[in-house]
Amino acid sequence: MIASPLGPLLLSLKVALWATLLILPPGILLGLLVARRDFPGKSLVETVLTLPLVLPPTAVGYLLLRLLSRDALLGPEVLGFDLDLLLTWKGAVLASAIMSLPLVSRTARVAFEEVDPRLEAMARTLGLGPFRTFTAVTLPLARRGLLAAAVLGFSRALGEFGATIIVAGNIPGRTQTLALAIFSDMQVGRDPEALRLVAITVVLAFAAVWTVELLLRRRRPGPRAT
Amino acid sequence: MTSLSLDLTLPLDRFDLVVGWGSDATALGIFGPSGAGKTSLLEAIAGLRPEARGEIRVHGRTWLDSSRGICLPPERRGVGYVPQDGRLFPHRTVLGNVLAGRRRAERTSARRLSPDRVLDVLELTGREQADVGSLSGGERQRVALARALCSGPELLLLDEPLAGLDLPLRRRVMPYLIRVQREFSVPSLYVSHDATEVRLLAREAIVLDAGRVIARGLPDELLTATTVLPLAWAEGFENLLRGGVVDAGGGTAVVEIEPGLRFTVPGHGLQPGGLAAVALGADEIILAVEPPAGLSAQNILPGRVSGFRAPTPVGDSDNVPVLVVVSLGYRAAPVLVAITAQSRRRLALAPGSPVHLIFKVQSCRAVTVG
Repeated sequence: MIASPLGPLLLSLKVALWATLLILPPGILLGLLVARRDFPGKSLVETVLTLPLVLPPTAVGYLLLRLLSRDALLGPEVLGFDLDLLLTWKGAVLASAIMSLPLVSRTARVAFEEVDPRLEAMARTLGLGPFRTFTAVTLPLARRGLLAAAVLGFSRALGEFGATIIVAGNIPGRTQTLALAIFSDMQVGRDPEALRLVAITVVLAFAAVWTVELLLRRRRPGPRAT
Repeated sequence: MTSLSLDLTLPLDRFDLVVGWGSDATALGIFGPSGAGKTSLLEAIAGLRPEARGEIRVHGRTWLDSSRGICLPPERRGVGYVPQDGRLFPHRTVLGNVLAGRRRAERTSARRLSPDRVLDVLELTGREQADVGSLSGGERQRVALARALCSGPELLLLDEPLAGLDLPLRRRVMPYLIRVQREFSVPSLYVSHDATEVRLLAREAIVLDAGRVIARGLPDELLTATTVLPLAWAEGFENLLRGGVVDAGGGTAVVEIEPGLRFTVPGHGLQPGGLAAVALGADEIILAVEPPAGLSAQNILPGRVSGFRAPTPVGDSDNVPVLVVVSLGYRAAPVLVAITAQSRRRLALAPGSPVHLIFKVQSCRAVTVG
């Protein structure tokens, strides 16, 4: 019997969507901070932000697992309540979100760096305070880049494997996302099922990357004579 | 009340900008060569240079007083800043740009101008929904000016608003600036390396060079001051003749600078009965000691040599430029004519020599000033 790919697909989409929503606000804020502010330890922050990109995902997953274990910093004994993340889909959300952070914050940073600070200064002279300047000038001018950051973060979360399997496990119907399902199918030799899942992930990844390409290309209008 | 009072120090890469200046005039100007620190000074006044130290007072309000720890952020200063490149918001329409500072204008009742009226005066009516990317250079500057005017400014800061435009366009946009001054009477500070623009738009001016104020006073008198003349010469010294338009038509107009002293200029935009200012380069004029005849040039004005000025350090060469100061009539401002030292000797020019000024219609740039 061939298992329906619908379950893992829907779970993957759910996990990736929540992970994106979870990581977008801090990712954008961190991108803004690095793009617009100089502060002591800035390069340290940038390095730590990049770590999930270069560390083995299993290492990040293991660190999360230790953090969430019974007597650790985010464990039930210290917090006084159980976050209920281990071996749940919410754990998969957290793991994917952490793994997406570098892509989101870096893309957001570039998006903010491309906004001409002189336009923000102009808004200030017109009577707009820092917050209104951000909402009326910075955000609209960075919107394509920020959208690209969200799509990239979503795609990264969709494909996340190493950290997820450690934190959330690989429980069919509960935490088994597309990436994990491919692994399971392959392990037991269910090649047609594995191939079908691979095809789905290719379509999803293609659509996402293409969207980002379009977003980033439309951002740069033809050069204007000045 | 003093409209502007400055006592500023701002460290720059090349030198420290040090400016002390107070004035009651509502139309102020700053002339200076490129790199003199003009833009930095405007940015400091606008509040965009937090490292500026000293005092800035505008219409009795303190914008900066380092000794008392006062430094208003840009949004609370009330400037209408028009930079050289317009700096329009690319994600907004023309109207979206013009209304960007509307909230402040509505909070401050003092200088609220109707956007409709501003758009009308700047001839932008009908362009409200246009994408700013589709605007011409002259339109962009007019939109930037409209945006500044509609933000309820206490002081307009105009930073070389014409410098990015080519010459024909500058001639077309300049009348808008004059019109804005006349219609809205918003105090303004006009900055340019073009002395003629400063003379047209300012009632009092300073000359800035390498971060220091080297002269201040009436713009018309300032530029011929000994300290300023070399700078004005390097930027292309132009005479500015003011007079009434007595006739216009057929692409030309006749300007009278005093009874009997008339000459012909290109006529675009000039109306009989109006006031005109005519810019005429010192090196566009030919001097003749005899009454000339049979020339294609239409303008021949009689005058008398009243003196000589050296615009560059004195040298021995025959090609050293000499500025001949020529008085016309009884009241008109003297005209400076650039010739070489050799020509001065050849014509045996001396104070009191009668001369004729010869210049072409097309050498004149005329704008309506009233």
